[in-house]
Amino acid sequence: MDVIGIDIFGIVSFLFNIFKSNMLNIPLLKPLIDFLMGIPILNLIVALVLWRPFFGVVILPGLTGLMLYLLWIVYFERKLAARVQWRVGPIEVARPLRGAIQALADGIRYFFQEVIVHREAHTPYFVQLPILSFIPILLPLAFIPAGAVVGIRTPYALPLTVAFISLIPIFVIAIGWASNSRFAFIGSMREAFMYFAYEIPFVLAAISMVYVYGSGDLYVAVEKQTIPGILLNPLAFIVYLIVMLMATSRLPFEIPEADQEIAFGPFVEYSGILFGLVMVLAYEKLYLMSLLFVILFLGGWSGVEIPLLGDLVAPLVLFIKAVVVISILVIVRAVYARYRLDQAIRFGWSNLFGLSVASLIFGIMVGWLM
Amino acid sequence: MGKTDYYDEYEIQVHLEPWSELESLFIPIPSKYVEEIYRSEDFLVLVGPQHPGSGHMRLIVRLHGDIIKEVIPDPGYVHRGMEKLAENRTYIQNIPLVERPAIMDAPNYNLGYVRAIEDALEIDVPERAKYLRTILAELGRIGTHLYDAAILAIFLGHSTGFMYPFAIRELICEAFVRMTGARVTTSFIIPGGVRKDVPENVLKFVYDATFEIERRLKPFERIFIHNPTVFARLRNVGTLSKEDAIRYGLVGPFLRASGVEYDVRKVEPYEVYDRLDWDIVVADECDSYYRFLVRVNEVSQSLKIIRQCIKDIPEGRVISEQISENGKEIRGELFDKLANVVLPKGEYTTLTEAARGSLIYTLVSDGESNLPYRLRIVTPGWLYLRGFMESLKGGRLADLQAIYGSFGYFPPEADR
Repeated sequence: MDVIGIDIFGIVSFLFNIFKSNMLNIPLLKPLIDFLMGIPILNLIVALVLWRPFFGVVILPGLTGLMLYLLWIVYFERKLAARVQWRVGPIEVARPLRGAIQALADGIRYFFQEVIVHREAHTPYFVQLPILSFIPILLPLAFIPAGAVVGIRTPYALPLTVAFISLIPIFVIAIGWASNSRFAFIGSMREAFMYFAYEIPFVLAAISMVYVYGSGDLYVAVEKQTIPGILLNPLAFIVYLIVMLMATSRLPFEIPEADQEIAFGPFVEYSGILFGLVMVLAYEKLYLMSLLFVILFLGGWSGVEIPLLGDLVAPLVLFIKAVVVISILVIVRAVYARYRLDQAIRFGWSNLFGLSVASLIFGIMVGWLM
Repeated sequence: MGKTDYYDEYEIQVHLEPWSELESLFIPIPSKYVEEIYRSEDFLVLVGPQHPGSGHMRLIVRLHGDIIKEVIPDPGYVHRGMEKLAENRTYIQNIPLVERPAIMDAPNYNLGYVRAIEDALEIDVPERAKYLRTILAELGRIGTHLYDAAILAIFLGHSTGFMYPFAIRELICEAFVRMTGARVTTSFIIPGGVRKDVPENVLKFVYDATFEIERRLKPFERIFIHNPTVFARLRNVGTLSKEDAIRYGLVGPFLRASGVEYDVRKVEPYEVYDRLDWDIVVADECDSYYRFLVRVNEVSQSLKIIRQCIKDIPEGRVISEQISENGKEIRGELFDKLANVVLPKGEYTTLTEAARGSLIYTLVSDGESNLPYRLRIVTPGWLYLRGFMESLKGGRLADLQAIYGSFGYFPPEADR
């Protein structure tokens, strides 16, 4: 196989051995996997997919899980709001499934729509930033563990994840700047103001949980939760819950994107698939934050044991818990009106900040007791 | 400004001069004013003409930071020349025309116009017709208030608050359908009465519907009116004191929300309002929340009026003897009796309390033609536009939508 001076076969077998050494153990699928591993080219693909770091980042709870979650939550949010509002909600796309693939249909429509780049836009950044904004979305997924499935195992997983989540608003502000329009500018400013209002309580709530568990390692956090974190530090739980709403522009705090006031703010000039990408940005952020939320407060992936599924249980449990948390959270859209910017900032800097400091002190005390 | 030299360097370029293409766009303010704003620290935001409110209207907002310094309205996007159109139609053909400014409030608009004709011809309207007209007018008032509440909710981003009133409004539309045959623009009121008698079972339906509306308003009250976020957004926003409200010529529920006890239905009663037991809703707090709350309470007053009307309604004819021998129905002889009506020479003015405030009709006749010489319509929207603009000053940009919704400003109504 020494065709172009590089030992391709050697590299392939080297990679294959790496993949094979760290594969997912699923007793239920063992006969199938064993059979597939006997077929030459296919075994490489199977080994790659079941390689634990790859599985964690790309399949569950990573990219594929993220896409599944997006399809579900957009549909579910609309359906739930419709139920509250004496309506039916999306129903025409796939009538037998009660419109269940509405989000997919919307995605396809966005994909084939024309992307208009207006003359005033800063074209390179305007086109690149929606795609670049996937970096802070996907990087934390490498550090969020789910049992035996983890991209990169590090004791600094929690600080790293929080840091990457905090990067996302920078991209939103940059998007608004590149759009170069009045409403996008106002939206960016609002995003920046909101960013400072919720970021410090968010970091303080996360740090208070580090004190409770004595480590930034998410494995330690899950191991120590014989009592779930929601009871260990309820103050941090409340702060984190409100911060999730503020950070992802959920309704009482849907201020940067206020469509009645500034027509989706930073995203006003986008169309087609680029609008599709920026629109789901907040949902993706919500997914990341709720994964962290489940690990910190709701016992993470522990609690369920199915021997037949082996290593697959932990990512599944984590994913399902996160989706359930978000599905409960989206009802606020049907209940609350939008706060004004100054009211939200005042709330963030006074009540929420005070509560997060209290939660930090409470966390230190609990950590000291444990 | 060429395209290439703008993109070659990655630096922010501040355009002090308005771009040459922009000069061709029509903005109803002097270009000097625009340049002055560009040079100062202020910021010019054009809200509209397309926006998620009701109808089209542009607001030219001068911002200092987040604070509104001045707002210049640019109405007229839905101007249909109603007054000119009216000069080329017979009096009876104008009835469907004058209803169009505020579609949900059609009976009040219809009533004001018809009363001007009746004033001129000195027609006595039968008692039963007067009661039916009052019921229709109050149904229109409830429908409009619900419509405005829905628009206010969507301005605040509260989609549930938008859906509930529209669902409740369906009952009003259904009542209109059963009484008159049309959902919105009913054209039911004619000079001398109403088109046809309304049977007993339909009045029973309307009576029951008032209770159903009251029942369905409860969840709306829970989720929207008493919602802390709504309260935070509307309270102490867009305040207009009693003196200001009078000076800027506010009308209707917005004037009453500023503490002025004035209602045309009490001051110059028409139809049967003077025989019914109801109260003027007044609030002294003068802000957006109370402008909204006054209208919410007016809905319950209107329901009370409708119930009394249905209980008290006498039997008898619904069309005056001066118009037709058949007192129960005008069908088949509407044009025979009314197409060639010629008003005596003179000027006839009526004042009506429409849902959004005082509505003025002035009908000028030359005494010879069967077309009006001139029809003047002054709608409440046009009257309170000034007060609306004044109340925006000093608010924040996000308050613009809240105040807009609290006034229920309806551009088609103001533009005619």
